[in-house]
Amino acid sequence: MLRVLSAEWLKIRRKGIWFLVMLGPLGAVGLQGLNYAIRYDYLMPLYADDPWGRLITNVTMLMLPSMFIGLAILASMNAGIEHQMNAWKQTLALPVKRRDVFLAKFFITSLLLLVSSTLIIAFTLMLGWLLGLEMNPPVVQLLQASYYPYLAIMPFVALQTNLSVLIHNQAVPLTVGILGTVISMFALWLPDWMPWIWPYLENSYGEPLYSVLAGVGTGAVILLIGMLVFNRKDVR
Amino acid sequence: MNSPWMIETKQLTKMLGGKPVVDRVDMLIQKGEIYGFLGPNGAGKTTTIRMLLGLARPSSGHIRLLGKDIRRERLDILRKVGSLVEYPSYYGHLSGYENLEAVRRLLDIPKSRIDEVLAIVRLTKDAKRPVKGYSLGMKQRLGIATALLGSPELLILDEPTNGLDPAGILEIRELIKSLPRSQGVTILISSHLLSEVDQMATRVGIISSGRMIFQDSIARLRKQAKSGIRMRVSEPEQAMRLLHGHGFQAAVESELLAFDDLPDAQIGAMVARLSEHGHLIYRIEESAASLERIFLDMTGTEGSL
Ligand SMILES: Nc1ncnc2c1ncn2[C@@H]1O[C@H](COP(=O)(O)OP(=O)(O)OP(=O)(O)O)[C@@H](O)[C@H]1O
Ligand SMILES: [Mg+2]
Repeated sequence: MLRVLSAEWLKIRRKGIWFLVMLGPLGAVGLQGLNYAIRYDYLMPLYADDPWGRLITNVTMLMLPSMFIGLAILASMNAGIEHQMNAWKQTLALPVKRRDVFLAKFFITSLLLLVSSTLIIAFTLMLGWLLGLEMNPPVVQLLQASYYPYLAIMPFVALQTNLSVLIHNQAVPLTVGILGTVISMFALWLPDWMPWIWPYLENSYGEPLYSVLAGVGTGAVILLIGMLVFNRKDVR
Repeated sequence: MNSPWMIETKQLTKMLGGKPVVDRVDMLIQKGEIYGFLGPNGAGKTTTIRMLLGLARPSSGHIRLLGKDIRRERLDILRKVGSLVEYPSYYGHLSGYENLEAVRRLLDIPKSRIDEVLAIVRLTKDAKRPVKGYSLGMKQRLGIATALLGSPELLILDEPTNGLDPAGILEIRELIKSLPRSQGVTILISSHLLSEVDQMATRVGIISSGRMIFQDSIARLRKQAKSGIRMRVSEPEQAMRLLHGHGFQAAVESELLAFDDLPDAQIGAMVARLSEHGHLIYRIEESAASLERIFLDMTGTEGSL
């Protein structure tokens, strides 16, 4: 598995993938920065009771849509590397397990998304301090606001990996990704069992961890299905 | 394990879209052979090769490579097999060197091997450039380098000269011939042109509409190439009629008198008849029916070249 991952790591060079990984967090935090800069005198008294908490929530609201669309693009780029010049047949005629090749695609996408989630934390901190909030932020809340949605969004990472790897025409997974992003914007009106709402960590029990568990569990199941299909598939 | 066959298929069949694209093929390839796998477009060569490499599942039948069952010991087998299937596979945004490095990481072999294969296919100079800027011939050579990377015992090359110009074809052919035969590498090379494998192959298998219609040594195939006699004379049509009148079989093909192979005595008699009647005989030549001709006759396709 490590061999496959290290090969994947090499392949994503010079694809602009790292730029994309930066872009999402930069956009989400940057737009909030703009919001605060323009309405500074109005917002600061309004959020006086919990300035850090409000900032974190505001960033999260912009972060989630960019995660939905970002993970779809990342998954598609990672699979597209093989589709583009018919490299599947070369890779899969090498002494590697198909399962490992498939999982590596998922792991690389997950890893890149994890980097984005971490960058969100870093950028939020910078913005907070720039706005003159107190030096010690609520660390636990900050970490949860970033990494809980990351785990709760796993069904979509798995789904987009499946579609991108199994379907040659990348317009299909990208369309699904865009539709998902649109749905996610209205997620707060959806019932608990709909996966789009999970990254918002909202559920009727008021327990964010339930959303996280649902996400991780469902993600694993979806991934397993994709893996089984990939294992049996004839390679073009 | 001690099977003499590097490739052995039994009744290998693949159904696609409801019809057999590969139909009960028994392929046998011995260690150290260069096996020419021939057939016109759409005959099922690529489909067969995909199954050999475990890329596609047979609908029925069995495959053994290096004496092992591909379904049970796929990874063990593939470690010793290098392949190039249909058009080249590559990562355009990476350099030639990085392309090989990506494969090397999967094979887990020393880095020095990359420089070795680059030298073999003479890409050392261009190794640092992105592959998307390579010519088709260079991409094809990179594909061969990739196939050679793991020092395979069995090399499977599907139309390695596809889409190349004559110079490129010659180059690849020379390259394949120069591969270390001493190490006993077995090579399966597919093509729709007999002439392409004619000079390298020791054995050939000919597939047509999914059926293996010939599998034997290239010498056997040559034996089927019946030779004939051609004669250039002053008035071919009249000469033909004259010979028919004397009970000889003759035809006119592109201004030449053409006969099946005949014993010397009969040729002598014909020449005497023609001279008697004032025909001028400019030259008499023996013509071997080209292998290409036999190939076309066997596969029953005209102009698939
Ligand atoms: N998915 C499919 N469904 C139905 N028929 C298919 C499918 N894929 C391939 N075929 C058919 O299988 C046949 C064999 O194809 P294959 O690529 O193996 O031929 P080939 O001998 O490699 O030909 P070429 O010299 O053109 O490369 C073709 O007639 C093709 O139309
Ligand atoms: Mg083919």
